[in-house]
Amino acid sequence: MLTDPWPTAFLFFAAAAVLPLLPKGLLRALLLLVVPLAAAWQIWTLDLGTFAQVEFIGFQLDLMRVDKLSRVFGLIFCLAAFLGNLYAWHVRDPVQQVAALLYAGSAIGAVFAGDLITLFFYWEGTAIASVFLIWARGTKAAYHTGMRYLIIQIGSGVILLAGVVLLYRETGSIAFERMTLGSVATWLIFISFGIKCAFPLLHNWLQDSYPAATVTGTVILSAFTTKLAVYALARGFAGTEILIYIGTIMTLFPIFFAEIENDLRRVLAYSLNNQLGFMVVGIGIGTEMALNGTASHAFAHILYKALLFMSVGAVLYRTGTSKASELGGLYRTMPLTAMFCLVGAASISAFPLFSGFVTKSLILDEAGAGHHPYVWAALVFASAGVLSHSGIKIPYFTFFAHDSGKRPAEAPTHMLWAMGITAFLCIAIGVYPDPLYALLPYPVEFHPYTMGHVVGQLQLLCFALLAFGVLMRTGIHPPEIRAINLDTDWTYRRFMPAVVTRVADAVSQFWSAKMRFWLRRVEAVVGRLFQVYGPEGRVAQSSPTGAMVLWIAVFLGVTLIVSFLS
Amino acid sequence: MDTNTAILLTMLLPLGAMVTNLVFRDSPNLRDGLTLAASVATFLTVLGILSTVGNGTTEPMVLFEVLPGLDLAFNVEPLGLLFAIVASGLWMVTHIYGIGYMRGNNESHHARFFACFSLAISAVMGIAFAANMFTLFLFYEVLTLSTYPLVAHKGTPEAIRGARTYLGVLLGTSIGLQLVAIIWTYVITGTLDFEKGGILAGHISGPMVAVLLALYAFGIGKAALMPFHRWLPAAMVAPTPVSALLHAVAVVKAGVFTMLKVGIYIFGIDFLAETGASEWLMWLAAFTIIASSVVALTKDNLKARLAYSTVSQLSYITLGMALATSMGALGGGMHIAMHAMGKITLFMCAGSIYVATHKTNISQMNGLGRVMPITYFSFLVGALSIIGLPPLGGSWSKWLLAVGAADRDQWIMIAVLMVSSLLNVAYLLSIVGRGFFLPDSDGTAAPKVAEAPLLCWLPPALTAFGCLVLFFIAGDILNFLSPIVAPN
Amino acid sequence: MGEHKRKKPEHLPALGRLLLWVDRPGSANKIFWALAVVCALLFVLDFTYDKHGHFHIEELPGFYGVYGFVMFTALILAAKTLRIFIKRPEDYYGDRAVDSEEYPADQLDKERYHAD
Repeated sequence: MLTDPWPTAFLFFAAAAVLPLLPKGLLRALLLLVVPLAAAWQIWTLDLGTFAQVEFIGFQLDLMRVDKLSRVFGLIFCLAAFLGNLYAWHVRDPVQQVAALLYAGSAIGAVFAGDLITLFFYWEGTAIASVFLIWARGTKAAYHTGMRYLIIQIGSGVILLAGVVLLYRETGSIAFERMTLGSVATWLIFISFGIKCAFPLLHNWLQDSYPAATVTGTVILSAFTTKLAVYALARGFAGTEILIYIGTIMTLFPIFFAEIENDLRRVLAYSLNNQLGFMVVGIGIGTEMALNGTASHAFAHILYKALLFMSVGAVLYRTGTSKASELGGLYRTMPLTAMFCLVGAASISAFPLFSGFVTKSLILDEAGAGHHPYVWAALVFASAGVLSHSGIKIPYFTFFAHDSGKRPAEAPTHMLWAMGITAFLCIAIGVYPDPLYALLPYPVEFHPYTMGHVVGQLQLLCFALLAFGVLMRTGIHPPEIRAINLDTDWTYRRFMPAVVTRVADAVSQFWSAKMRFWLRRVEAVVGRLFQVYGPEGRVAQSSPTGAMVLWIAVFLGVTLIVSFLS
Repeated sequence: MDTNTAILLTMLLPLGAMVTNLVFRDSPNLRDGLTLAASVATFLTVLGILSTVGNGTTEPMVLFEVLPGLDLAFNVEPLGLLFAIVASGLWMVTHIYGIGYMRGNNESHHARFFACFSLAISAVMGIAFAANMFTLFLFYEVLTLSTYPLVAHKGTPEAIRGARTYLGVLLGTSIGLQLVAIIWTYVITGTLDFEKGGILAGHISGPMVAVLLALYAFGIGKAALMPFHRWLPAAMVAPTPVSALLHAVAVVKAGVFTMLKVGIYIFGIDFLAETGASEWLMWLAAFTIIASSVVALTKDNLKARLAYSTVSQLSYITLGMALATSMGALGGGMHIAMHAMGKITLFMCAGSIYVATHKTNISQMNGLGRVMPITYFSFLVGALSIIGLPPLGGSWSKWLLAVGAADRDQWIMIAVLMVSSLLNVAYLLSIVGRGFFLPDSDGTAAPKVAEAPLLCWLPPALTAFGCLVLFFIAGDILNFLSPIVAPN
Repeated sequence: MGEHKRKKPEHLPALGRLLLWVDRPGSANKIFWALAVVCALLFVLDFTYDKHGHFHIEELPGFYGVYGFVMFTALILAAKTLRIFIKRPEDYYGDRAVDSEEYPADQLDKERYHAD
């Protein structure tokens, strides 16, 4: 036990505890950068195996299970925390800084959790820590959005807890291993993962909350929660067939919403949802290569998604808006941000030589090899969809298109560095994927750069671009307008509140009316007792009544004491 | 010092504090200092009992025989000892807080206030160490009577009304129902002793078991089972230290403690499980959990919201007993400690806010967290513990209760616990969110940090830390309690 | 907006100045037709190597191109139709949603571009 290394998550928690004690400014920002690097170093140098096992309430908790699957997720989480914190270098709000540390720490802790109780603890940890990144915006809307987010996130946690309890009752074990759907317990755990993974119909917390977070908060949020859920599914439900179909739907429906959404950070949230779909399909297929695809796609995705959120965030930071209808032509004064955004767009669209290409092909290839023609066709369609909103819409309507007349300054230096490093990694992975492949859970026998792959992908993307050109020139492409679109959140933002308010009012009225009736009766009885036995006219005054009752009590007490001693 | 003397001392020390409060009514520092000394001494005495007895059970010490089989008697057993540790430990904290609150708030009649307070603690110790139902009942009534003046303390018409409801419901239920149940039990069994495995098995059967249980369950009004919960919100007119200790710890926990005692030592878990007599109680507790949480959502007054939250949380413990499984009973027992620590934190924070700003409604508290960060942070920690989130104590008791429900295949009860958590999030964390992140309600809040006096913010910070500690010692608490359900 | 009129292109950052090309008259046309040429080349490329996919349809020359073009167009049209049904004003959810509120200015650094 003593020779065991510290669980990586504790590094973050310790830093979160120390941070408020440091002087405001440079030291705190530095701490935020050093901790993820130290954590990554620790993970990198650890041997595979299970460490930090503790005995608790009769359970053995495995705080640190390092295997190839958890290691790759742990590493990318550290990297994402580093990049997010670098991007947030200018933030001096200790709440956001501590929340970022606790959030990243919880996510990393969950990834290394070897048992379901530990997983549950960290699962809830990510929920609580992350809401502060939304609340930190400090507006009424952000407060309400945060509450909605929190209830759904903690809801996922309590469903997990219920599932774990039932599973423990069923099997007598709390180990976090591969499960098969069948019992209520496993279904509950599955749904709990599904909420955080933004399964269709359970997804809307994502699009609701990410655009409401702070400029830097959204970048940090985008990395952890959903990818933690992907990891958990990959660990617990690999090869579960239903995931193929869930994932396919996930890749499809967000692309329609993303197309007509005005807030670019929400467009990216829809796009994130769509990318998760690819990973979920990989988990559903469940072969070694498909799981490799999921893990690598998660790795690449965290980077390019963060890059896109960073670039839109930088625009928001400089102009005060992230709405497509208000932006355009910013390349003139923010050319570097525009370039980084294009790198992110190319990566998510999976252009050859960019990171998305070398990871998504793994999943697409396995969908083909597994002979799921419809799934495969849907994924290819979704790939074209990604191009439309993330590849074209984000950079085009922000930095090009018609000139909005806005002339913001270039993003601050630290943001440029964060974007630059991330962009470099996106290209590096695309050009030379072998180091990433080597990190994956299973040996990789895959060559993304074959003639067929490259030409096929380029055809798909270029013809889609051509279609965009045609639609723009003919004026068919829908314009960006100031509006919102309904989604499933309508049910709990408009419909349910109305119902709940009514029910709550009814319950409270029922009780107060009922109880008032009964209480009057009881009071009448007590009152009469007082009138008969108490001194007349003194009932209405507190002090004498109080004193009287005190003396009764004292009398009773003294009687008891006397009886002790006699 | 032998254990029996120690037991007496835990009751006599607070009683002595009452006397000194009345004698030295005009020298505040001496008075408060002596009371603090008494509270520390009481706590140490209880710890002394812990160190000699551990989680064993001592032979009853009979002081006085009323009728054959009807004694005034005390003994030590794990559940009671846990309750005594919690109550006496939190008494120290609350007393410090009470001094800060009463002085910071310029309340009147300090001496009477602290005298009643001490008497109430004495009664709680009697309840905790009672060896039979008769003794427990006597101290239960002393507790009701001694806390009445505390509730009426402010002397306003509203306070009088609240206090009358308080007294009416508690006395009415205990005399009208609980006493009947006790007499009934005595008549059919000839004893009222708390015995492992219960005393009723073999003496009563069929639907009568459920009826007797109903008399107890409703008769223990302090457990605030719906529909006899109204006294608790009504008692919120009391000064906040009273709400904190008595209505988050001593009085309400005396209620659910009695409920657990009745379930475990009068009926017996196995007997309840065999007869299914507690099935309806389980549903009623579940209803109370959800309904009062929903009511709490609608309350804008902070203390009223906390009161309804307490009603809900007390039913967790009743539920644990009604599940009639050993895990449920242990979870219920543990929840006494976990909820006490969390809820007292919340109440003390509410009081600090009142002392500092004289605000009582949540809608007026926007942005206050930035002014009183320590108070609000403590509130956050307490709230997370109540919700049952790691790394705070409340998560373990909730886990045990859920395991207990799973043991009975009561999936709906698990669902109730989970839904309740979400409701807790909605009505507790919204307060924190508003406080830290919303713009000031009226623009009057001080722009910089302006906490309540030290004696007001330090105690809740300590209990918040206690919630964290409880998470890590939960395993020890579980081991400590386990004999209460161990087979004979 | 007088200020930004004063800003002559030569004051923009070098990269920004370079990119100004895209806004010149006729540039959009050039880009579009260049893209069309690239597409045509890619189509022709399909005949130059031995295609083998998991499905027969993949082996059709230009399959990916046609699929991309058609599906992209279908997607845009479908989304446009969807908008008719689900579009709502920005303040639909009132002050409980961020859509109709300004981002708090004190957390931003809304610096305008300064020429050196």
